[in-house]
Amino acid sequence: MDDSTKLFLQRFMRRIPSYMLRTTLEKWGRLTAAQQKSIDFTQSKWALTEALLTICEENKLAMKHLIELEMIYIMDNPNQGMWYVLQLLDPEDDAHSVELMQFKEQFKSHLKELVRHVSIKIKNHTDQAVWIRIAWGDAFSRPNHLKPTFGVHYLQTPYVFVTNLTSKQKPLLSQAVVLSTRYQAIKDANLSGRKLTAIRDLLMRKYQQVFPTKYPSPLAENNQTISNPHIVKEQAEPAANRLHMACKAFGGGALPQLQSAVYKLKTKFRDDPNKTMTEREEPFRCVVKFESTNLLESLRHCASSGIASTPVTPLLSCIPLKGRNYFVITDNDSGPSSQTHQPQN
Amino acid sequence: MEGASTKGVLSHLSLLEVQARSRKTQPQQPSRVKELKAKVEALLTQRDQLRAEIETHKNLKKLRASMDKWCTHEEEEEEEEEEEEEEEEEEEMDEDSENSKLLRLMARHTRLKDLLHAHHVIGGYNVIKTRQGKGMCVSLATAYEGVYLETYNLEIDLKPTVRISRHDVPPFIPLKNLAEQSSVQTDIRTLLDPLSRDLNAFAGRKQQLKLVKELHKSVEVMESNVLCSLLVLMFTVPKEKTLVLCSLDYTDRTRCLPTRVHFKCDDKELPDSPEWKKHRSLLMETPVHKALITMRKMGNIV
Repeated sequence: MDDSTKLFLQRFMRRIPSYMLRTTLEKWGRLTAAQQKSIDFTQSKWALTEALLTICEENKLAMKHLIELEMIYIMDNPNQGMWYVLQLLDPEDDAHSVELMQFKEQFKSHLKELVRHVSIKIKNHTDQAVWIRIAWGDAFSRPNHLKPTFGVHYLQTPYVFVTNLTSKQKPLLSQAVVLSTRYQAIKDANLSGRKLTAIRDLLMRKYQQVFPTKYPSPLAENNQTISNPHIVKEQAEPAANRLHMACKAFGGGALPQLQSAVYKLKTKFRDDPNKTMTEREEPFRCVVKFESTNLLESLRHCASSGIASTPVTPLLSCIPLKGRNYFVITDNDSGPSSQTHQPQN
Repeated sequence: MEGASTKGVLSHLSLLEVQARSRKTQPQQPSRVKELKAKVEALLTQRDQLRAEIETHKNLKKLRASMDKWCTHEEEEEEEEEEEEEEEEEEEMDEDSENSKLLRLMARHTRLKDLLHAHHVIGGYNVIKTRQGKGMCVSLATAYEGVYLETYNLEIDLKPTVRISRHDVPPFIPLKNLAEQSSVQTDIRTLLDPLSRDLNAFAGRKQQLKLVKELHKSVEVMESNVLCSLLVLMFTVPKEKTLVLCSLDYTDRTRCLPTRVHFKCDDKELPDSPEWKKHRSLLMETPVHKALITMRKMGNIV
């Protein structure tokens, strides 16, 4: 095994938590049963790394085998790093019949046309997602496996989820994806988050949404505690209304975990007592950022508890409605506009 | 019979003959009377029956009218209120309580039938008015093989223009395209019917995939997509343990059956054999989970 492969394995071992190691190695399947048994998983990480290195050398494993191992780990633990969403636009007529083999071949050939040295690995996951791992090189250097880009795409949907993509690499990946999925263009979806599963569920509408139907299912969080019959809650009806409107805007039950929402304001300053500020012609530029471990849950609670007024302002309710968490607000429109956002890496 | 003795035996005989002949026609008369009497009885009972029916019908109409009046005044009415009103009506009607209970039931029955008919006329969708009549929410239910599956909802603004404001239709169903292609401003069913067809077909294909995974563990699902428009299965032929790769293309998204079935196998002869040709047409015509049962019975797959 050459030095770069060794380094890769060492870095990988540092990254993976010990408790995940056994199952990941089993799934990888490149170790014999005897070898798997011989590893003592209670050792320190350093000792484990050494043990694994020896085994890999015994089996004459190379970089291409190790990147399989890394991919298996990332596919099972996708909720790390920062994921951004790209949206494909204007499908061609045959976009809906693109199937896996076709997509794989087309993507690889298009990307290889654009970048001389690139290492691409595509795998399909059990939940019908296509995972793409790209190690980028350039005209002079070999692909760098230590900083790979991961992309996830569900065929026949317009979304591509990416992580670890620099601004230089972005147009190359975009072009390859557009051509191989038979769409005409791609843009930023202005949605980002640490949890791939959360942003995916938000866009695929896989969480419980509340609609005004005649027989709605009971709201999960509407815990009706048995209260003292002598106590009448004055605010019971308004509280129920607020809860209903909050759930209508954000959803019922468990919500996809977004971590932040950013509003970039380009509006004029409005505060009548403050003459110096309101007299200015130019818009008052400011950025408002909401952060939380579960942003949608927090916003829903704000609305249901009365901190935010109900009916929920479209500025907040458009986060789940449009599936975005980056907005630019100008004076001309009543709601957030759709301007592009450059993901920072 | 004085005449008979004066005229002789022959004339007596001929008289008897005439009597006998006339006797043949005579017996109809008393039974004719019986017949007519029976007919009168029947007509009388029919008249009574019809009178009773008219009476019932009148009472039913009265009940229905009061029911409908109450239902248009208060849209979301409680069961208790309805019964209260009917109790008041009861006093105005027959003393016989059993009759009135029956009438109430019959009135409810006809009302339900009318409601069901109205539901059918609007396409079978559950619709609710929202925002004081300025909007509505349509629920599209999906079902396959008699089992209800997911329900999808569309919240639609009606004023100033008809526009979908919110929905939970997944992104691989081309809702936007369907809305653009329909004349939703004039007839909303031009959007709802194609959408319901697409959603029901999708739900059907998804359910078939689920059933294949549950019922046929020996068949491996190699590939599928979120739209369930593509399915690749791996069969094992029992005797020789050869593997057959079967791809099912569902390019018509409004249908639950594939448009193309293709077999791939190391043994080149196999896909062209008569048995497997039968399998191909079977898979084109029957839902995949059922087709696999047949194929297994025929002994061609494990």
